[in-house]
Amino acid sequence: MKKLVALLLAGVMTFSLAACGSSPAPAEEAAPAEAAPTEEAAPAEEAAPAEEAAPAEEAPAAESVAADITLWTYPIGKFGDSATVDGFITAFNAVYPDIHVSVEYLDYQSGDDQVTAAIEAGTTPDVIMEGPERLVSNWGAKGKMVDLTDLWDEEALADISATSEAVVAACKSGSGAYYEYPLCMTTHTMAINKELFEAADAMQYINDDRTWTTENFEKALQALKDYGVDTTGVVYCGGQGGDQGTRALAMNLYNADFTNADHTEWTMNSEAGVKGLQQLVDWCNAGLLSYDAGAVASDEIQLFANETIAMSFCWNAANQLTYAAETAFTPYPVAFPSESGTPELCGGIWGFGIFDNGDADKIAASKIFIEFICDDATQGPISIANTGFFPVRSSYGNIYAGTEDEERMEMYASFQQWLGDYYNVTLGWAEQRTAWWNMLQQIFDGEDVQAAADAYVETCNTATADASAN
Amino acid sequence: MTTRSKVLVMRETRSAYLFLLPSLFFFVGFVIIPMFMCLFTSFFNYTMSDFKFVGIGNYVEMFQDKIFRRAFWNTVLIVVVAVPTVTIFSLWVGSSIYRMHAVTRSFFRCIFYLPVVTGTVAVAVVWKWMFNKYTGLFNTILSGVGAIDQNVSWLGDEKTAIWCIILILFTTSIGQPIVLYIAALGNVDPSLVEAAEVDGATDVQTFWKIKWPSIMPTTLYVLVITTINSFQCFALIQLLTSGGPKHSTDTIMYYIYYEAFKLNRYGYGNAMGIFLAAVIAIFSALQFKVTKSGSVD
Repeated sequence: MKKLVALLLAGVMTFSLAACGSSPAPAEEAAPAEAAPTEEAAPAEEAAPAEEAAPAEEAPAAESVAADITLWTYPIGKFGDSATVDGFITAFNAVYPDIHVSVEYLDYQSGDDQVTAAIEAGTTPDVIMEGPERLVSNWGAKGKMVDLTDLWDEEALADISATSEAVVAACKSGSGAYYEYPLCMTTHTMAINKELFEAADAMQYINDDRTWTTENFEKALQALKDYGVDTTGVVYCGGQGGDQGTRALAMNLYNADFTNADHTEWTMNSEAGVKGLQQLVDWCNAGLLSYDAGAVASDEIQLFANETIAMSFCWNAANQLTYAAETAFTPYPVAFPSESGTPELCGGIWGFGIFDNGDADKIAASKIFIEFICDDATQGPISIANTGFFPVRSSYGNIYAGTEDEERMEMYASFQQWLGDYYNVTLGWAEQRTAWWNMLQQIFDGEDVQAAADAYVETCNTATADASAN
Repeated sequence: MTTRSKVLVMRETRSAYLFLLPSLFFFVGFVIIPMFMCLFTSFFNYTMSDFKFVGIGNYVEMFQDKIFRRAFWNTVLIVVVAVPTVTIFSLWVGSSIYRMHAVTRSFFRCIFYLPVVTGTVAVAVVWKWMFNKYTGLFNTILSGVGAIDQNVSWLGDEKTAIWCIILILFTTSIGQPIVLYIAALGNVDPSLVEAAEVDGATDVQTFWKIKWPSIMPTTLYVLVITTINSFQCFALIQLLTSGGPKHSTDTIMYYIYYEAFKLNRYGYGNAMGIFLAAVIAIFSALQFKVTKSGSVD
């Protein structure tokens, strides 16, 4: 009997071990992507001018391959809505009937964890939709993604470069490989309660182009307080949600740089950076602003929407659309205040990447799918319009012309001129995000700003160095 | 034992093992093997792009890590406060309502069990709203009665955040112990209680001399389960504070999650997991030892 039990147990153990050990081949061993080497890609300077560029027409179905692919998408506009995405897939299958796409919808609360678990379990999707900070500087840098250089042909490079060189740079890794093929972009702004500002006579401090100086921002805060506004704005630092808002605020006040130009070092402990952080602390101490270490951006936006506070530091075109029905006032988007009056706004770039699952057919099918969603003359603008953002391709022009969104989107498009450096691709990004809000908590709790900023930069630089070494 | 008896016993034993086999398969596959994998990989610098043997390097780093040490003490604080309060409160509520009319008893059972069956996310959202600095219920009431001059950021203040977490943990932890205590107290042999009363024992004496030893197995279960749940406090932290402010609500479980899933340092996370498992095992063993000596069969 004992022998029988022992035999069964051994069998169970062996089977379980075998099941656990049957992970797919590591990325390095997987079939190489079909991409051309980066060095062969046409440099932006040599590319055809944007006016001549045109989005790719529908690829002939004959080039298609037969494959079942999976798409995981974060809730980027209506890419989080199954009815919308199903419509895109139906359109895709009308041209490519042999490629079957199944979709899984991620959220920002647990999406990264799901992807991490999938990477370790060898069950990653074929296609994933997000931004360069994940696709390029995280999963791409760790060798999990397929090089998409072949999608970045001369036409695409020229067309996207004509919109912004920063978009091209963001999608490209330090090794020169493109791990993201972008679809859309936006600039993050802040927003004010227009009626409240008018009542407090604070609109005079905002320029017609929706910029303002740091000095005028302070005057506006004072005007609001004098008018009787209890809490003008909240510097939220309870987590990393919407942290681009607090970064842009602190960075712009005295026109500091968040990283160096090469994206190899973090620099918010510079004189300008510390001055901006100190200014926030001073305003909070003076009661002109407030901070909340228990709130994240979603909490702050809700406070703005219900008129508890007069401004939000986390705003963009999609937020305006989302909160339009909830607000009984006019959310008036403005740039972040800066000493020079010329802000540098944080951008958002979203697109697609392909996980290297070692199946050449699936990789080929995934590329066809991405090209259809992004570049197809009909589908491309539809895809972008459903994100609520702007095309990265200049040839698409104003995709909102003639729609009910035209006026709103034209206004948000005017902020694109202040799109700043996309430093989100700096290695060690994940560590930086946590260190940032912890640093804000420290300085608002009375710790020396320079010391806290130095410690923050040291943490970030160590993470960047470690990531570079790997 | 005759040969025929031996055959029968063997046949029954074989059947028992066969019935156990499916559970055993899952237990081995999803508990035992991952535990050994966790132990094994804790000796490696195991990340998304690296797998290098570092010996006890992760364990050494763990004890030198200021955030880990803070997380450990926060966890101990949660356990030390939550476990006795949950147990005592549950026992008090259980002993107060177990003799009530069945309808009343069921009503109270439902009330106290409601937070247990409500999803953690829903519970966290409601509490977050109540703790809100600007529009929250607590600040509205306290400022309304003049108890506070300025609104308090309950979850954003280092002094209050951990206590808020303990309070929420308390409300979500008492449901099951109360139900268990009501059942256990209802099962105490009435003849023993009557005999004690006939002998002149007071209510307090009856409780401590008769009922308390009788419900000791339930108490042991409540202690162990509450201890484990308190040590593994994670979801509330993730949903409400992300370990802040200034790491004042970091717990070991949250820090494991942060290192493993946010920074992809699986080996380091696993080392902390092994440490946590060892601490829980020691605590549980101590509880077994202490409570077993006072129980009756």
